[in-house]
Amino acid sequence: MRDVLKSRLTIVIALLSASLGIISCSLPRQDVLSDLAQYTYLPAYGQWLESNVTLTDHTKQFCQTPTDTSAQSSKAIERLRNAFYSAQSQWSLMQPLLVGPMSEGNKSWQVQFYPDKRNLVARQTETLLDKMPTLTPQQLSEESVVVQGLTAFEYILFDESIDLAQPSKKKRYCPLLMAIAEHQRALTEDLQQQWLTPTSGMAAQLSQFPNDRYLDQNEALADALLIQISAIDNLKKKLGAPLGRLSRGAPQPYLSEAWRSGRSLSNMLATLNGAREIWTGSNGQLGVRSLINDRELSHKIDQAYDVTQAQLKGFQQPLFQLVTQSDTSALDALYESFDALHRIHHNELAQSLNIQIGFNAADGD
Amino acid sequence: MSFSTLKIGAAMVAALTLSACGESPQSDSKTAYDDASAQQVVNHYADIALATFSDALEGAKAMQRANQALLDAPSAGTLNAARDAWRTARVPYMQTEVFRFGNAIVDEWEVQVNAWPLDEGLIDYVGNDYQAALGNAGATANIIANTSLRVGEEDLDLTKITPELLAGLNELAGSEANVATGFHAIEFLLWGQDTHGTNAGAGERPATDFSLNTQLATGGHNARRRDYLTAVTDLLVSDLEAMVAQWKPDSDNYREALISDTAENGLRKIFFGMGSLSLGELAGQRMKVALEAHSPEDEHDCFSDNTHASHFYNQQGIVNVYLGSYRRVDGSVLTGPSLSALVAEQDAALDEKLKTHLLASTFAMQALVDSAEQHQIYFDQLIAPGNDSGAQLVRAAINALVTQTGDIERAAEALRIKGLNPDTAGQDF
Repeated sequence: MRDVLKSRLTIVIALLSASLGIISCSLPRQDVLSDLAQYTYLPAYGQWLESNVTLTDHTKQFCQTPTDTSAQSSKAIERLRNAFYSAQSQWSLMQPLLVGPMSEGNKSWQVQFYPDKRNLVARQTETLLDKMPTLTPQQLSEESVVVQGLTAFEYILFDESIDLAQPSKKKRYCPLLMAIAEHQRALTEDLQQQWLTPTSGMAAQLSQFPNDRYLDQNEALADALLIQISAIDNLKKKLGAPLGRLSRGAPQPYLSEAWRSGRSLSNMLATLNGAREIWTGSNGQLGVRSLINDRELSHKIDQAYDVTQAQLKGFQQPLFQLVTQSDTSALDALYESFDALHRIHHNELAQSLNIQIGFNAADGD
Repeated sequence: MSFSTLKIGAAMVAALTLSACGESPQSDSKTAYDDASAQQVVNHYADIALATFSDALEGAKAMQRANQALLDAPSAGTLNAARDAWRTARVPYMQTEVFRFGNAIVDEWEVQVNAWPLDEGLIDYVGNDYQAALGNAGATANIIANTSLRVGEEDLDLTKITPELLAGLNELAGSEANVATGFHAIEFLLWGQDTHGTNAGAGERPATDFSLNTQLATGGHNARRRDYLTAVTDLLVSDLEAMVAQWKPDSDNYREALISDTAENGLRKIFFGMGSLSLGELAGQRMKVALEAHSPEDEHDCFSDNTHASHFYNQQGIVNVYLGSYRRVDGSVLTGPSLSALVAEQDAALDEKLKTHLLASTFAMQALVDSAEQHQIYFDQLIAPGNDSGAQLVRAAINALVTQTGDIERAAEALRIKGLNPDTAGQDF
C-alpha cells in the first residue's frame, strides 16, 4: 500500500515539475497594461501634443511674418512643411494607440479624412473660404470634419493649384491654416487631459480594474489589441487601394494616403513602429510580448515586424509614383507582409491570449 | 510518507492549475450549443436568404415591367410609376444585404448589383458642378452620348448597348466609382442628378429624356438612353435570378456548400454578416461618412432620396436573421429555428438584451423614415452643416447600431464562435 502511495506521489511530483518546466507563468495582464499606459501611450500622446504645438507656432510665424523675397518665402514654406511632416508622422504613429477617448465620436476624422475618394477636401476648403474669409478656430469646429484636419492642411501646403509664395494666396489660406493648427492643438491637449485625469482618466482605466470602461484587464487588453490590429489592417487598405488590389489590379494613385505630400510610405512605417511598441513595450518596460509563453510565436511576430520595417525603409520614391510603375513586385511583397502581420495578430496572437477580436469599424466596403 | 503528504502534493498541483496562469479566461473546446439545432438554424438562414432574394427578384421584374411601360409611353405618370417600382424593389433587396458580408459569393456578386457611390458622368449627362473621383478616367465618359470610348490604349466599341456591354464597363479602369450597372445606375436613369445638395429636393429628370418625339425629347441621345435603361434592368433581373438559384435547396450550389460545412462555420458567417452590415457598412460607410463630411454624394440612395427606407430595411434584414423570421412581400411570414433561440439557451439575458437593442435600432431607423415621410426632411437634409437636430437623429441611429453590434459580438462569444472574420472562417479556434 505504501509503495503504491509512494509511486503515486512520485507521479504527482513528476507531473508538477513537468508543468512547472513547460509553463513558465505569464506576467499578469494588468501589469502590462499599466506599463503600456505609463511608458507607451502617455509619452506618445505627449509627443503628439508637442508636434501640434510646434505646428501652431510655425503656422503663426509663417502667416504673421511678411516675406519680402521669394527665397525668404520658399524657406518659410519649407519650415512650415517640416512642421507638418512631424505632426502627420506623429499622427501615423498614434494609429495603433488610439484606444479609448480618441476612438469615440469620430475624432480621428477631425485629424485626417481618408480616403477622400471624391476630393471633398478641395471643394469644401474652397467653399468654406469663399463663405468665411476670416475664419476662426471656433467657427472651424462647427464645420465638416473634412476641413478640420491635416488633410485640408496638406491640400493647402502641397496642392499644385495653390502657391503660398504669392501674397494673395497666403492671405486667403492663412486663416484656415491657423484655425486647423489650433484645432489640432486643442484636440490633442484635450485628449492628453482625458488620459491623465486621476482615477477616471484613460491611463488609470488601463491600470485599475474594474472601472467605468472595463470590467477587467482581459476586456481592456482586447480593446487595446483591437485598435492595434485594426491599424495594421488599415495599412493593408492604405497600400492595397492605390496598388489596385480592390480594383481589378488597376492602380489608383489618388487613393494613396498623403499623396499630396508624398509621405505615404514613411507614414506607414510610423504606424508600424507604433504597433510594435504595443507588442514589445517601450524603453524596456512590459509589452504584450511578455504575456506570450510560446517562444516560437513571439519570434515569428518579432520577425514579421523586422521584415516589414526593412521593406518599408527600402523605398526611395513616393507611393503615388510607385503604384503606376510596371514593376510593383516590391509593393506586392510589402502587401503580403502587412497581410501576414495582420493574420498573426488577428489569429495566432489573439488565440494565444484567448481573446475575441471584435468587429472592426472599418469593415464594410 | 504519510497520506497527508500526498494530499498536500495534490493540493499544490490544484493550486498551481488555478493560480498564476489562471488570469486569462481558459478556452473550452466543447461547443456551446447542440450541433443538430445549430445546423437547423443555418438551414433556416438559407431559407430566409432564398425567400428574400426571391422577393427581390420579383420586385426587379415588376420594375422591369414599369420601366418598359415608361419607354412605351414616356410621361410624368409612367415615370412616377417606374420610380415607385424601383422603391418597392428596394424593400426586399435591402433586406438581403445581411447575407452579403458573411458569404463571399454574395459580396462578389453585389459589385454589379448595388455598387455606390458612383461617378454618374460615366453613364449620362451631368451638370457643371459635378464632382468625380480623383483620377477617374471614366468620370465623364457618358456612355449614352458616345458610341466609342478610349481607355488607355484601348478603343471600346459602345455602339450596341447590351447587358453584357454594361457588365464589362462596370468598374471601368478599375475605379469603383465607375458604376455602369445595378440599382443605382437605374436610380440615376429614373431620377437624374440631385442638384439640390443638402437642400430639399431629389433628382428631377424629366420623362421627356426618354421620349423619341423630336418635338418633346430632352436630354439628347434618347434612343441610347432607352436602350441603356432596358439593358441595365434586364441585367439586374438576370443577376438576381442567378443569386436565387444559389440558395435553392437540393441543388449543387452555394447553399449546399454552406449547409454541408460545419455548423460553427455557418454560425460564424451569420454573425459576421450581421455585425459587418451593422457597424462598418450601415453605421460607418452609409451614415457616418455622409454625416461627418456633410457629403450628400456619400448618401446611399442619393438620386432618389430614398436613403431612409434603404437604411430601415438594412436593419430589418439584421433583425430577420437573428429572429429567424422574415415577412415576405406577400405578407406571409417565414419562421423557423432561430439564432436567437440558440443564444437564449446559453444566456437568456443576453438574448433579451440583443433583442431590445435590435428594436432600439429599428426605432432609430424609423425616426429617419418619419422625418422623410411625415416632415419631408430627407437624409441629405439631416446631414446639412448646421442642422443640429438632424445630426442628432442620424447620430442616434449610428449609436444604436454600435450598441447592437457589441451585443452581436457577445452573442457570438456566448456560442463560442471565435474569429469573426470571413478570412479566418474554417480555421480552428
